[in-house]
Amino acid sequence: MGGFHVSRVRAVLWKELLDLRKNRGLLLSLLVLPAMLVVVPIGTVFAYASNPDDPNLRTMALFYDPNLPLQASAAGFLIEKILVDWFGMFLVMPIFVPILISSQAVAGEKERRTIEPLLASPITAVELVAGKSLASLVPAVAISWLAFAAFCAGVDAVSWHFLKVVVMPTPMWLFGVGVIAPLFAFFGNGIAVVISARVAEARLAQQIAGVCVLPVVGLVALQIAGVLRAGAQFYALQGAVVLVLDVLLLVAAVRLFDRERLISRWM
Amino acid sequence: MASLAIDARGLSKAFGERPAVEGLSFQVQEGEVFGLLGPNGAGKTTTVRMLTGLLQPSSGDATVLGLDVRTGAERLRRAVGLLTEQPGLYDRLTAEENLRYFIKLNELDEPAAWARARRYLERFGLGGREREPAGSYSKGMRQKLAIVRAIVHEPKVIFLDEPTSGLDPEAARTVRDAVAELASEGRTIILCSHNLPEVERLCARVGVVKGKLLAVSTVRALRRQGAAVAVRVEGEAARFAEAVKALPFAPGALADGEVLTVSLERDQDMPEVIAALVRAGARVYSAVPAERPLEEVYLDLVKGGDA
Repeated sequence: MGGFHVSRVRAVLWKELLDLRKNRGLLLSLLVLPAMLVVVPIGTVFAYASNPDDPNLRTMALFYDPNLPLQASAAGFLIEKILVDWFGMFLVMPIFVPILISSQAVAGEKERRTIEPLLASPITAVELVAGKSLASLVPAVAISWLAFAAFCAGVDAVSWHFLKVVVMPTPMWLFGVGVIAPLFAFFGNGIAVVISARVAEARLAQQIAGVCVLPVVGLVALQIAGVLRAGAQFYALQGAVVLVLDVLLLVAAVRLFDRERLISRWM
Repeated sequence: MASLAIDARGLSKAFGERPAVEGLSFQVQEGEVFGLLGPNGAGKTTTVRMLTGLLQPSSGDATVLGLDVRTGAERLRRAVGLLTEQPGLYDRLTAEENLRYFIKLNELDEPAAWARARRYLERFGLGGREREPAGSYSKGMRQKLAIVRAIVHEPKVIFLDEPTSGLDPEAARTVRDAVAELASEGRTIILCSHNLPEVERLCARVGVVKGKLLAVSTVRALRRQGAAVAVRVEGEAARFAEAVKALPFAPGALADGEVLTVSLERDQDMPEVIAALVRAGARVYSAVPAERPLEEVYLDLVKGGDA
């Protein structure tokens, strides 16, 4: 009777994905960010590759690397740079998508007063957190991977005539999107679940969770500004830190999903 | 002989320093329809939440169907059904999807449980509308759907928290009929309400709560508390109610057509009541002992609970 029941986790996952499919507003907002994160770099690479002799490109390249050899292609350098830097930006996607979904799934239950009947069912806090988390992680990772596939195809298509090599995916991107992106998705989900358990409205939860993940966005901004030189090692370290945070957030989320706390505080 | 469905002994709950209910002790037999009466904020919902395993009591004990509310909460939630004050439906999901979700959460045999749910939907007048989003349902339909959700796992004990609250008279009636049907199937029903006619119609026994239990009794016995007399006068009895209420011992007076039901603390005051009516110009045809209206008994109890 007690213990962890996978069937109940599946039930929550089933309902959440069904609800997500019917929530057109949320679906639309889920697609906007990935679309931007795919279209913007493809457009930038296209701009570099289609006009590689533009003298402005060398000026930009020298800003990032004053020692860039004269015979080196500025366009090639900038394409390589944006493909490294954009990785950090790309990681914003697996963080924000779960925030959007989990805030609706958790704080939304309180907002719509559906949480009491749910808590009156036999489901345990761990099962509920697991079901809700999977329901935001699965779409987040799926969207990230699909966006990554579109990103690789787009970058290779627009850069081929200039570079004559397939530049994407690189091992760093494969590792990042395959391993670090799910960890980041877990992080975004954990933040959203923890905050959603403490506030009454989904929108408020989204805003607060968004603020909480701003430091990650800040790191990306530092990379793009040339202040921070991020590479595979940096991202591996970032992934390890996020993994630790994921575990802590999971424990906090389960504690906050205590029936007594949710009912006495919010109902 | 029926066994106990609910046995509460000194059940108390405090939120921080603020006590919500204190020392509730009552029993409910299997198959009984028991009303939990009380004003808003009296602790009815808190009591139900403790008895359904949603809240842990601060002190005291209770068993529901023999399951301890402290240690057997998960099994308890499987065994009881709860209709919350707000229906709490997923508006984007259809009625069928709402019900299937709870069928899955209760780990029921899905085809059998869904067939049962469809029978309930038919019975409550929702047949053929199961593919419509719950958000498109009227208030009464939503409440009936929430009732089906609360009973889809065939609980022996059903807690109904303000089932007709906020409904129009027609919707309230259909929900009351649904509750009466469930009661006729021999289920134990705990009905929380401050709708006295509803409680009077559906419940055999009631408990009056206001932070603590003020009374537990059959409706009939409650109505017999204190003396009451039904005085039949010529014309509208309401014209004389004020004259009676103005008497020094301030009896309660409730008019219904030609009959004025007067509540008294002592039988000896009855001649004074008749004299006051005659002084006010009433032509009195008869004066017979009567049961007090439940509303009056309830208000007396609740007022007393403030003291």
